[in-house]
Amino acid sequence: MTAQILNGLIVGSMYALIAIGFTLVLGVLDRLNFAHTEVFMFGAFAGLLVIDAGFPWWLTLPFVMVVSGVIGLAVEFISFRRFEGDVRITAALSSLAVGLVMIDLTHKVWGTEPVGINVPNFVTTAGFTLFGIRVVYVQMLILAVTLALMAALHLLVSRTRAGRNIRAVADSPVAASLLGINVRRVTQDVFFVSSALAGAAGLLLAFRTGYANADVGLTFGLKAIAIMAIGGMGDMRGAVVGGLLIGVLESLTFQFGVGKLGELVVWVAMILVLLIRPEGLFGGGIHAKEVRA
Amino acid sequence: MTVDYLFFTGVNILLAWSVYIVLLTGNLSFAQGAFMAIGCYAAGIMTTRYGVPFLAAVPAAMAISAAMAVVFGYPALRIRGIYLILVTVGLTFCVRIALENFSYTGGVGGLKGMSGATLWHLGGAILAVGALLYLLSRSPLQRILDAVREDDRVAASLGINLTYVKLFAFGAGAAIAGLAGALYGHYLIFVRPDNFDILVSIFVVLYVILGGVNNLWGPLLGATVMTLLPEFIRALQEWRPTVFGLAIIVMLLLRPEGLLSFRLTSARWSGDAGGR
Repeated sequence: MTAQILNGLIVGSMYALIAIGFTLVLGVLDRLNFAHTEVFMFGAFAGLLVIDAGFPWWLTLPFVMVVSGVIGLAVEFISFRRFEGDVRITAALSSLAVGLVMIDLTHKVWGTEPVGINVPNFVTTAGFTLFGIRVVYVQMLILAVTLALMAALHLLVSRTRAGRNIRAVADSPVAASLLGINVRRVTQDVFFVSSALAGAAGLLLAFRTGYANADVGLTFGLKAIAIMAIGGMGDMRGAVVGGLLIGVLESLTFQFGVGKLGELVVWVAMILVLLIRPEGLFGGGIHAKEVRA
Repeated sequence: MTVDYLFFTGVNILLAWSVYIVLLTGNLSFAQGAFMAIGCYAAGIMTTRYGVPFLAAVPAAMAISAAMAVVFGYPALRIRGIYLILVTVGLTFCVRIALENFSYTGGVGGLKGMSGATLWHLGGAILAVGALLYLLSRSPLQRILDAVREDDRVAASLGINLTYVKLFAFGAGAAIAGLAGALYGHYLIFVRPDNFDILVSIFVVLYVILGGVNNLWGPLLGATVMTLLPEFIRALQEWRPTVFGLAIIVMLLLRPEGLLSFRLTSARWSGDAGGR
């Protein structure tokens, strides 16, 4: 039982990392970035590149975050910059197309089967026993990395000038630009940061499962979009709490033997939240209601 | 073989129209594959287990599909269009997982034994749906849909109930997708939950965008070309997602305002009035 909760927290922390990215982009641009799930997927493959090139495994994380961030900038350039005042779904569709191309190219390069990722055994299988629960080092690693990244993001958004600009643009792009904030620059920051987090989540997932899988974007990754709605659109705190909550609920449904129906939890939870509390759990989602500049 | 190609093209045309009618209210649905599955399984279970005649099962399946759409669309459409994207993505997953896990629907193994759909049935369905959509485009309802899409606040201030109009379009789309699904299942004889993957829903949306959304011919053209072309060009079949994806990206970049901009009937009329 406790082991299941720990497991749920670990899966949930990865959901949270992806959901934060969705919610940041939605908060600032009021648009859905469908390429986000594939940036997450590609994180594992970028890590594979580093390991296959002979570098030590712990170098993967900074490399993957930079590569994913750059892909994020490319997504912003291709799918978002041109559609500023346009119908909202244009950018969503364009980013969806980018995601499809990313999946297909990954399939073409690495094949359609999951590819094993070579991480030393002392990370993936070794562990220790704490209060009767077996804890594997990789679980600790995932928790430590996600906590560190979330803390860093919190400091970035709440304490730095760049973070203040992000909050200002999220509040009102027009007002922010009138006050001399470079909205395009802020948008790029947001895409870099959110994609770097998604890439890190993809790498951590690959560490945990031992495989880089090109299909996780459309399965694991898309759940984060529901978690974003559960936590409140544009609310980072909500994304974190929602991710952890759904992770634990999912592993508990597996525990109680409902089997694959555990996959339904997140979507059912989202529909319930939309019915009962449309603004999300925290209600801080600034874009729960139609906002017009 | 040729009959197969024609049949799948026809099914995709129906699906493309089902996306189009939802898009008329400015909303995007990624659940058309799920509604297709609901229609397919509902009709299949009725004909194989309860001996309902095929032609009676089809409208019943359409009704079930539309009812599901109204039930699940309501929480999302009540709030904002963007939520419909989330709910429809979720619905696609839920339907697939549910079909795979309940033995009543045949589980992962799928459902078999349906038969009776021919190219003629499909042709009739396309003609009927096409005629209805054409009549719609000439009716006052089209202008209500235009108003809701172009500016929902103005539409609301004119006394249009946004939620009902959007729900109507979403339900109608689901009914058309259910029709496509019922025909598809009774032609294939054997279907599995895999047949209704989320990629099906995504591709149908892309057909519509590539074909254009100005009128009902765009989705028809998009679905026809995009289904038939890969069957005849081998390289295109292998690189399908990349080629489609790049085509969408390039077209959106070249004509950022183009692909999704609807030509308004009112714009044509006011243009005429100005000329006189």
